[in-house]
Amino acid sequence: MTAIMLRAVGWPAICAVTAMAAAVGACGVIFLTSAGPQLLTIAFALLAAAAAFALDEPASSVVDVTPTGPGARTAVRSLALLVPLCAGLGLVLACALRAPALSWTAIGLALAGNVLLGFAIACVARRRVGEPGAWASSAAAFVLIAPPLVPSLAGRVHTFPTTAQDPQGLSSNAWWALVGCTCIVAIAVSVADRRLPWRPRSSFGRNRA
Amino acid sequence: MTTIIAAGRTGPAVGLVALTKYETRRFVRSPVFLVAFGLTAWALWDGMRVTVTEVNTVTVYPAIFLGGLGMVAAFWLTRSTQRSAEAVKVSPTTPQVRTAAICLVAIVPLICGWLSFLAITVFLRVPGDWTYGTLGTSGRAALLIGQTVIPALGGPLLGVALGRWVRFPGAAPVLFLVIFGWVILADVLAATHRHSMLVLMMRLFAPFTFFTASDQHAVETWRGSPWFFVGWQLCLCAVAVTVALLRDAEPGLRSRLTRVLIVVLAAAALMYALTVTGGLGHAVISHPGKAPQPI
Repeated sequence: MTAIMLRAVGWPAICAVTAMAAAVGACGVIFLTSAGPQLLTIAFALLAAAAAFALDEPASSVVDVTPTGPGARTAVRSLALLVPLCAGLGLVLACALRAPALSWTAIGLALAGNVLLGFAIACVARRRVGEPGAWASSAAAFVLIAPPLVPSLAGRVHTFPTTAQDPQGLSSNAWWALVGCTCIVAIAVSVADRRLPWRPRSSFGRNRA
Repeated sequence: MTTIIAAGRTGPAVGLVALTKYETRRFVRSPVFLVAFGLTAWALWDGMRVTVTEVNTVTVYPAIFLGGLGMVAAFWLTRSTQRSAEAVKVSPTTPQVRTAAICLVAIVPLICGWLSFLAITVFLRVPGDWTYGTLGTSGRAALLIGQTVIPALGGPLLGVALGRWVRFPGAAPVLFLVIFGWVILADVLAATHRHSMLVLMMRLFAPFTFFTASDQHAVETWRGSPWFFVGWQLCLCAVAVTVALLRDAEPGLRSRLTRVLIVVLAAAALMYALTVTGGLGHAVISHPGKAPQPI
């Protein structure tokens, strides 16, 4: 059953976006001392975007009425997160080898947080639509790129660990611990609710538990 | 579409005007565009409250929000009719008219880009002329147009072209991140390899670039011509429109569009070459109250 369910995962989308993330991240590792943090932030945002495609189900109108619950489906499809996580771990390892001053555990936490955030947005969106990847990846990318760009957040939130921490800002570890906990709660709530995806003017809507 | 059919007017011009109005309404109501507009206004207001020594920290916002998020909004707008493609095929308008209507929607972010340009020109406070390096009035205008106005036009046009040709639903945000990464990488390399022709070519081979870099005490002016870069950007916009129109074009129209594309690509290559070879021969550094010096 697991293998059959995994066949339905949008592997081309996940692998393609992960490959782009690896390419951007590799540039970040090469130029680690200058553009590294910015490029790795973008690479991790791309990994989050890849994770957001894990729950895409083109045949959702059929799949959603099968006895398999959303919890089981989500659990099986979460195995697809191994692709972005493995690519990200490769980048973390490369960072640890090139710049020992950077905390690899902090970078690893940032990686896990990024991927979890993309997946959590997709989980929440999956309750409403069958293929949440497109807008979930956009939302994840925006949420991850915006903090360094938005003036009021720029010096206060650090989404990627650096050697020079702003003492007044929220550190990367604290930020990702907060985001990670929120994501876990969001995923748990979204899969615990066994309602079918909301469909306007559909007969399925009457069958909600 | 229903309005056009009900009125009995099916001419291409009438259809284009009606469709443009309709698509413009959809674009303006798009949450992504509304967020982009709001963030641009907020970021400009917030960034210009104090005296700015690094102008790039202000001029970059319209490009990121109006251009980047505008690309995502235009991409989704273009792809929104894909599920009803069979119904759209039997409508009285051609795919090219529909695509042209969506391309014309880019006038909205272009107007927002011009408003950003005006706001920066009027309200941006800088310590002195040295903040813009060696750029004169004309160079500053080109710098601001290339960093605020043209990206606001080009981003949505790129989104339309992408939506016409690429089926992958996450293409726009992914491309946005890749372009963002490319610009950052080229910018950082330009700051460390000021005399490298390869890095110069890499920096200018992008839809957005910086021509100055500064800290609290000095401003570096980099190589490259800001005005020719605006020409290069406009050529990229023309390429995006032509490529978007090429999709599903009739054989006759396709050959005409292909010829147009070749001409536009040749113009783009010329503009790129002039951008690289024009401007300063080498990077210079400007200190307050002192003459610029070569680095």
